[in-house]
Amino acid sequence: MAEDTTDDEREEELSSIKAIYPDELIVDPHDPFSASIDILVAPATPLAVVFPHPVDGAPPTTLPPSPTSQLGAPPSVQPKRDIHNLSYLPPLRLQLTLPDGYPSAAAPKFRLSTSPPWIPEKLLQKLQKEGVGLWEEYGREQVLFSYITHLQDAAERGFDLGEDRVLELSLDMKIGLLDYDIKTKKKVFDQGTYDCGVCLEPKKGSSCYQLPRCSHVFCVQCLQDFYNDCISSGDVNGVKCLSPGCGQEKEIPGVKRKKKPDRLLTPSELLQIPLETAMVQRYVEMKRKKKLESDKSTIYCPRTWCQGAARSKKYPKITDLSQITESDDEASDDETAVEEKANPGKDAKPKGAPETDRLAICEDCNYAFCRVCMQGWHGEFVRCWPRDASELTEEERASMNYILAHTSPCPTCSVPCQKSHGCNHMSCFQCKTHFCYLCSAWLNADNPYEHFNQEGRPCYQRLWELEEGDDGNGNVHFNGIRGAEAAAQRAAQAAVDIQNQEIDAAEDQEIPPPAPEPPAPLVPAPVFAQPNGRQAANQVPRENVRRNPRDPGQERAAHGGGGRYPLMEANQMGLQRFLQLVRDDEEDEWDSDELEDEDDEFAIPER
Amino acid sequence: MAAARKRILKEYTECSNDTPPGMKINFDEQNMTEWEILMDGPEQSVYSGGHFKLRLTFPNEYPFKPPVVSFKTKIYHPNVSNDDKGSMCLGMLRPDAWKPPNKVISVLHLVRTLLIEPNVDDAIEASIASEFKDNKKGFEKTAKEWVKQYAK
Repeated sequence: MAEDTTDDEREEELSSIKAIYPDELIVDPHDPFSASIDILVAPATPLAVVFPHPVDGAPPTTLPPSPTSQLGAPPSVQPKRDIHNLSYLPPLRLQLTLPDGYPSAAAPKFRLSTSPPWIPEKLLQKLQKEGVGLWEEYGREQVLFSYITHLQDAAERGFDLGEDRVLELSLDMKIGLLDYDIKTKKKVFDQGTYDCGVCLEPKKGSSCYQLPRCSHVFCVQCLQDFYNDCISSGDVNGVKCLSPGCGQEKEIPGVKRKKKPDRLLTPSELLQIPLETAMVQRYVEMKRKKKLESDKSTIYCPRTWCQGAARSKKYPKITDLSQITESDDEASDDETAVEEKANPGKDAKPKGAPETDRLAICEDCNYAFCRVCMQGWHGEFVRCWPRDASELTEEERASMNYILAHTSPCPTCSVPCQKSHGCNHMSCFQCKTHFCYLCSAWLNADNPYEHFNQEGRPCYQRLWELEEGDDGNGNVHFNGIRGAEAAAQRAAQAAVDIQNQEIDAAEDQEIPPPAPEPPAPLVPAPVFAQPNGRQAANQVPRENVRRNPRDPGQERAAHGGGGRYPLMEANQMGLQRFLQLVRDDEEDEWDSDELEDEDDEFAIPER
Repeated sequence: MAAARKRILKEYTECSNDTPPGMKINFDEQNMTEWEILMDGPEQSVYSGGHFKLRLTFPNEYPFKPPVVSFKTKIYHPNVSNDDKGSMCLGMLRPDAWKPPNKVISVLHLVRTLLIEPNVDDAIEASIASEFKDNKKGFEKTAKEWVKQYAK
């Protein structure tokens, strides 16, 4: 063979290779007989690689039946395993130089490398030698194409690295390799074409989304349309893979699985499709609400205008979408199931709640209340009773009725007080608050009688009404809470009777016929214009009405229904409203203020 | 809606290329959300010899919501409501079971299959279903009579 044809042969070979791999082959601009080519590594079966666990404290887990391979890995000491199956690995770069005299006289020079160096150096050298061996085998002929094909075949087999053992790599390659795998997968996916099963159109991968759990592919537009529709219409259970039968075949008969076969999509998946954040937020909130509602142990805020759920660890309030993960969802699902099993009778007996667990805080309005008696939080040391009317015995109910009919609550501590005799200026035995027995208004301790001396006020000149004591015989017109309750009680009498017989029906009870006209404003008692004489007159008129001083501004809905607002003014409109509230919350009144009926007590201590 | 029409059109093409045996689809391009289907009672069934008219209505939300199938011709069948609606609601036709990738062609196959083998466990007409189970002869007799009376 003539010397001068050698150049031609090298040139010819490289140009034909360049024609086969126009993009891949890069010829060195400084040396026409040097070139490099990247060989894609996409093993037919994903290559399992393992990285040592960053926190290497745990005892090593045992390998799967360890092979005694030629590479001879000592199976005894293994760091904790972190296995990943990679479909794509960084390419194998072949750098080749065809020296003078190639192919007949000189061997080609091959150099193999990867970045990062995930193929063991030994193996690379072996592969390089194979190139030269191939050249020899071919009778020192042009060998490039065969060698490249040979390397491609080896790459497809994953260089046999995963054949009998898992490839171990150092931790610093982990991010690079995983990232390459994901990015390449995405690139390959984007370049593909998929038939969307919904619009039945072929779509480019870049406008499709692959559901990560089941790998089903739909076009983004259809997914968005469908899931947005589901979420807007409140059908959160429809937010799952659209493919018919998806997820169902995975159920293994005989194997108990708590998980529903068709799982709902996670918020992060929805965001990736992408759905709008507001929509995903709505989805998450609705899902949570459904869970709360289906959980019988959920406790709701007793404030009628709020009725939010009590804060719960099981279903933490959602603040940040990114914090919602799939595992959270599953965990809470499981927890619910377990808990329901463990406490089958829990809901039936709220009494059983441990004392320390009674504090509940509404997640919406932050109202702190007792989950047993549903009143505002009374501290750990107060005995209380469930608010459910059915929990009370006949006797208790009778006591309750009596208390409601014949005591006035202290405006500060709500303790029921009964007047045995004397004037209507009361001083609470428990908290020393001065108040008016007729309307429960808070009185200024310095000048308690001012309240009875203001012309035009409902209690004007009524200091001595009911002097003989509150035994229920006096036809006295009460204001405020008592007034509302008295009227409501008369109105609700029929309802109460039925309630006593049919306790279960009590909650849904129809409101009794319209309340009778509230008693006409009483004619001021004529005689006792100046009760007690002293201090009563000539005071600076100052009204000290405190609305529920313990938690100002908070409706004490649980206690005595909505009607426990000290209603200072005998406002007929307001009164009607209270009547309604009181009647609506009728059973709330069979409450914790359990008392002894001791008529000769000035006021009755709370038990 | 535009997407729905596009899909319905595609499905019509598919169905007309591969119409289930004994079926004919009357398709109106002006009103493509309502298909009229003429169907011969399958030979191996008691409805053999009958000609049934069905209406397939696509909701606006199609394919997110299932199409509605109703028999315009009266038929004595446990899975078809015995009223002037003649509605069917089972299997994939249930709103909660419908999946958008389901296609009309499979709906048509479902209808045909049901005429051959009624699904008594998911019956809309319980009395016909129990008759089918307990007194098959009686069921077949009535079904055939109805075919003669209504489906000729």
